[in-house]
Amino acid sequence: MTIPIGLILVVDDEPQIHRFLTPALAAAGYESLRAETGAEALRLAAARAPDAILLDLGLPDIDGHEVLARLRTFSDIPVIILSARDREAEKIRALDAGADDYVEKPFGLGELLARIRTACRHRLRQNNEDATVDIDGLRIDPTSPRITQNGEPLSLTRREHALLLLLARNSGRVLTHRHILAAIWGAAHTEDVAYLRVYIGQLRRKLGPHHATLITTEPGIGYRLRDMAEHEGK
Amino acid sequence: MTDDRRPDPDALLASMQQAARGHLKIFLGAAPGVGKTWEMLVAARLKHEAGLDVVAGLIETHGRAGTIAETGTLEALHRRPVAYRGQTLEEFDLDAALARRPALLLVDELAHTNAPGLRHAKRWQDVQELLEAGINVWTTLNIQHLESLNDPVARITGVRVAETIPDHVLDLADEIELIDLPPAELRARLAEGKIYRPDVAGRALSGFFREGNLGALREMALRRVAQHVDRDVKSYMRARAIPGPWPATERVLALIGPDASAQNVVRHAARLADALDAPVIAFHVERADDDAWVQSALDLMVQLGGSVATVSAPDVITAVLDYAAAQNISHIVIGRAQPGGNRFKRLALNSFGQRLARRATAFTLHFVPIPAAAAARPPASRRPGPAIPAYAMACVLLAAVTLAGRLLQTWLPQEAMGLIFTGIIAATASRYGRNVGLATAIGAFLLWNFFFLPPVFTFTVSDPRDVVALIVFLLVGIVTGTLAGRVRLEAEAATARIEALRRISLFGQRFSRATTLDGLLQDTAEEAAAMTKAGLVMLAGASGLQPGPAMPPGTVLDDAGLAAADWALRNNIETGIGTATLPNMPWRFVPLRADNIVIGVLAARPETPPLPPLAQTLNTLADQAAMAVARVRMTMQTAQNAAREDNQKLRTALLSSLSHDLRTPLTAIRGAAETLSTAGDALPPETRADLLASIAQDTARMTKFLANIMEMARIETGEIIAKRERVRLDTVIEAAIARVKGAMYAGINIPEAAAYAMADPALLEQILVNVLDNAVKYAPEGSRLAVSAVADGSRLRLSIADEGIGIAPEDCAHVFDSFFRATRGDRVAPGTGLGLAIAKAFTEAMGGTITALSPRLDLPADGLPGTIVTIDLQAA
Repeated sequence: MTIPIGLILVVDDEPQIHRFLTPALAAAGYESLRAETGAEALRLAAARAPDAILLDLGLPDIDGHEVLARLRTFSDIPVIILSARDREAEKIRALDAGADDYVEKPFGLGELLARIRTACRHRLRQNNEDATVDIDGLRIDPTSPRITQNGEPLSLTRREHALLLLLARNSGRVLTHRHILAAIWGAAHTEDVAYLRVYIGQLRRKLGPHHATLITTEPGIGYRLRDMAEHEGK
Repeated sequence: MTDDRRPDPDALLASMQQAARGHLKIFLGAAPGVGKTWEMLVAARLKHEAGLDVVAGLIETHGRAGTIAETGTLEALHRRPVAYRGQTLEEFDLDAALARRPALLLVDELAHTNAPGLRHAKRWQDVQELLEAGINVWTTLNIQHLESLNDPVARITGVRVAETIPDHVLDLADEIELIDLPPAELRARLAEGKIYRPDVAGRALSGFFREGNLGALREMALRRVAQHVDRDVKSYMRARAIPGPWPATERVLALIGPDASAQNVVRHAARLADALDAPVIAFHVERADDDAWVQSALDLMVQLGGSVATVSAPDVITAVLDYAAAQNISHIVIGRAQPGGNRFKRLALNSFGQRLARRATAFTLHFVPIPAAAAARPPASRRPGPAIPAYAMACVLLAAVTLAGRLLQTWLPQEAMGLIFTGIIAATASRYGRNVGLATAIGAFLLWNFFFLPPVFTFTVSDPRDVVALIVFLLVGIVTGTLAGRVRLEAEAATARIEALRRISLFGQRFSRATTLDGLLQDTAEEAAAMTKAGLVMLAGASGLQPGPAMPPGTVLDDAGLAAADWALRNNIETGIGTATLPNMPWRFVPLRADNIVIGVLAARPETPPLPPLAQTLNTLADQAAMAVARVRMTMQTAQNAAREDNQKLRTALLSSLSHDLRTPLTAIRGAAETLSTAGDALPPETRADLLASIAQDTARMTKFLANIMEMARIETGEIIAKRERVRLDTVIEAAIARVKGAMYAGINIPEAAAYAMADPALLEQILVNVLDNAVKYAPEGSRLAVSAVADGSRLRLSIADEGIGIAPEDCAHVFDSFFRATRGDRVAPGTGLGLAIAKAFTEAMGGTITALSPRLDLPADGLPGTIVTIDLQAA
């Protein structure tokens, strides 16, 4: 066996999920840890410091949200929520509480592995906040006042600039409507999703057909800037 | 009651649907004969010739040639014959007019009083209905018929006009045309015989048609029209917010006392208010001896467009002043004296006026003059007169005392006899009232004088002592009788009020207890019947009034009654006996109003036209019943909503359960399949085998889940029909145990006495499989199940006991609900949440019951609590 590329903690109370995830993660080069309760998950997260956590919200002992909240008091390990489509409100709550991403059950293995990779990369970049993002000619340098596209500066309003910068700094991560609105418009506007929709529309138009698809809509939840790896892979 | 009195429902409906109100034009004259009808006909003919659909609803030609000639080409409605006291009166046919629906209808003589038996008491009410039905009406009116001018007209002309119309009817007119004819010309026309036959005309010229009278009437008419114009102008200016010298808000109070001047006070106050452009209120302080005068005065005030306030207070003046101050009253109108009253009363009333004048310094006081001729007493007043037995009793008493006195004469002094007679007078007066008391006093005086005072057996009034005795006797009779009479009246009034209050609180309580609509309506009908002779409740439904409970049972309304009830419902007014609409119905119809919407009609059948206390109590009954109906309906609505909400919750639970139970195995299958396809070669063989097994297991799990859902759907759609046959339990139990994997059994105990049940073997097997499955799911590995049966008479109880985690006591009743899964069980074991629900549905389909008991009492307290599920079936 080769040296594992990362350690993943899988938290789910359904044995069948572990049954296929353990060999699937191993095949992709990860080492995996298995937890069936919230208490066990917190213990393993503290003791083994995994590179990412896959968290199911419905746990028999502690509520998944509570697990996330307690985890965030001592760790910023990327967390990917394993959730159901009909639990939209739960997903938003978890993302707002510090989760990095989510996949919907039943999820495809390829998609899950891609999310895990993104989450791990994002974690690396967090240590270097002002790293320049360059996706296929779109260059976003947080230290520069200009965002350029194929070398040409983009004409953006101050808000549009701030919005794109925020998405770029968190590229690969789902940002909820509430999170974006609070960051750019202020805490009083966290319900004004209509504003956000308008600005995202303008931003996509200004980015042009090639880069517009960089900003993906997570229906009912928020937006995400796809990072380089995903963009190239599409 | 004939059927033709019933209004045509279609015509009624059509008239109700007509949103636009008809236009009313009044041709107003100062006196008969000025040519109102003629002018109206001329104008109408022009309209007719211009192509308008004009119909003469009713024209009184009075045999005048000019008028008859003018009616010529107009279409005329047939008059409606009404039999009244052996005569046949020809009246205006309102229903025919409503059915005909002309663009313009001519209805002569607005002040006419309809013959009894027609829908409305007065023709102006017919006109009002026509207007509301959207029909334009032209009509005629003489000024002396206006209610508020009734007194001045009587004073000026010496003739009291019996047919009056409320002043607000004039306000209904969109247009008033004054038909003016100088008095001299009118008299000339009269003299020429153009108005009345010569013999009548002669008398008229020297009576009503005196030049002075005509002048005064003409002035009244002119002033009235001017006022109407003035009002139009004012409302026009107000509507356009044109600032003007509006008078400061004045308010007029008419003080109503229990005497004949009350009506004059009301009329005067109404005229004053009109002149001041101020609101007017009739105010009355309740007294024990209030009679019909008061009620008719208050009614009159309402007719004249004022409002009414009644209070109960010990001191009238204080009550008046308090009310006046609170209401910003500026003018108080009171009667100067009562006509035909005795001196004492007049003195008392005068002093009342004076006392009021001394204290009412902040108000302008108006004293209404004594009317020249006292109006007829309203008929509703009815006081019990002394009956013949009262006089007979007085005679018997007097005779007995006289006889006793004669017999005991030797030792009873004659003065003592005087005291005894005084006693008798006081007794009869207090028992039977003033008149009997007076008669007794006279009798006693005569007997005393004749039998006891010397010279005995002669009548002598020589001695001043005799005169004093007579006066004392009479005074005792009057004072005692009057006082006693007042006390009795007060007691009766108090009793009536207490009775009304008792009833009101009684039905208040009764209604607050009512939970069903039927019970409530029954209560209402009973209360109405208790107050009158019969009660009936009808609620408005989609297709009109729905007859509800009646008291006495079986009471029904005839068609005319239904029409009157319908009328009350549609117009939101009281109809029937004692009201202005259909007053000769035997029933009174009170609309049931809840939040200003009429939801039905209460019908009551009083013996006489209901007096205010009864009418008010009926109204209160109707109001409380309506509120209670609204409350009960709301409660029913809430219950329905709650049921819908429960249903909604069930659906949500179903969706959530489906979502979870389908998604988990799907995720596992998909994940295992993808892992195999992407990394299959790299996986160790045992891992590959495990993934393949996992796919097979999860597929089986989903299949089972789908089967359960289908089973449940079949039960709910009634597709499953349970057979009932004699089943041997142990064979069914064996079959079920064979289907449940992973269970260990402590024992299966089916005694011969409980070996057979009436059941459907296939369903029973499924029930057992589901219960056993559930027991295995929630029990630790290695624990054991026990199955046993007990016979209990015609029943048979089959029990399955486990040593599992048990059920919280409060959940025992719910474990058989669809998708109920004890929260802690939700993630512990895979399940559909349907197994026990299916078991319950199957058991009930076989006429049995299924219950759960936890913890088991026969297990050690330190271990798991365990559960016993008991299936109760019919033994065979």
